Amino acid sequence: MNLRDCFAYMVERWTDQLVVTSAGHSSGTWWDLTRDRDRVFYLTASMSLSSMFASGIAAGNPGVGVWAFSGDGAFVMNPGMLFVERRMNLPNLTHFLISNRCYGSTEEVEIPFSEHADYAALARAAGIERAYSFNDLDAFKSAFDEAVLAPGHSFIVLDVEKTGTETRTGAMDGPEVKFRFGRHVEKITDSAIFNVS
Amino acid sequence: MPTNQREVSRRIADELAECGIGLVASLPDDWIADLIKTLEGDDRFLHVPVNREESAVGLCSGTFFSPLRSAALMGASGMLTCIYAVTKINYTYEIPMFFLVSMRGAMGDTAKYQYANGLYFQKVLDSIDLPYRLIESADQLGEIPRAYRHARIYNRPSAVILSRDVLRGEA
Repeated sequence: MNLRDCFAYMVERWTDQLVVTSAGHSSGTWWDLTRDRDRVFYLTASMSLSSMFASGIAAGNPGVGVWAFSGDGAFVMNPGMLFVERRMNLPNLTHFLISNRCYGSTEEVEIPFSEHADYAALARAAGIERAYSFNDLDAFKSAFDEAVLAPGHSFIVLDVEKTGTETRTGAMDGPEVKFRFGRHVEKITDSAIFNVS
Repeated sequence: MPTNQREVSRRIADELAECGIGLVASLPDDWIADLIKTLEGDDRFLHVPVNREESAVGLCSGTFFSPLRSAALMGASGMLTCIYAVTKINYTYEIPMFFLVSMRGAMGDTAKYQYANGLYFQKVLDSIDLPYRLIESADQLGEIPRAYRHARIYNRPSAVILSRDVLRGEA
């Protein structure tokens, strides 16, 4: 499956969910397709923590859907995240694992032993019932409503090809990402995030 | 368990509640085990046991973007493993978070494998300019809300470090 085609379809189906991207291709590709600076938190430098970060957002905003992207390079650094996700079982969290079997932001260096990894099976072994894996875009499209949009925590592996190039995220310093995203959350949840002690 | 230990755990829980904290992510150290049990059984908190301290950093940093306030509870060794996450998330994006940490390795700790924490833990926090308050007696527990609010004011992490004697209810 081609990552850009896959993301382009997801962008078409994207409505009001908050999005957290991670280091690697997910940040650059999502930015390139959307140019969104408000509904997306580009967490570009914290390998293995994007789904935990997204879980915090989801736990505190139960009425808002949250899409978390992580790469398999990050995932293998902290697969224990699955147990925490299962424990929290947040109905508004969808975790997409972009599996390209390489470290996407470091010249696509191979992930050792990745050919043996079945990430969806790992999720099921951690007790996550709604674990899916797609390597075909048409199959992903067919299952999108059930896997992504149905209520309940889900873990979705998107098995994609290497891109051969790196697409960089737009130029924003960290505080700009924080404030734009936070102001958007304030707006859609009618809650105060900043200037609260 | 000394009676005072449970009292101290309850007092810390009260101070966290005073901060408005509703989520505590923890990974155990034996000195904070009673505190973790206390928080787990306290309806004021959603307790999330994590299996890697950095996950607590991710989780608590995410709650910043919500009305849910949070704290991360761990041992000194655990917090030392969080330097990457703290500098990459909290420093890069200027996101506050609050740590409660046991001061392992200080005088009085009989575990030989903890001594490096006594030598280096506070120096590491100093080296990344992470402000902290060392609490060595129960009558200082009222500092917890002040340290928590400091993080919210300057938009980076802060920490309260709890001594063995406080956590054991002996000081």
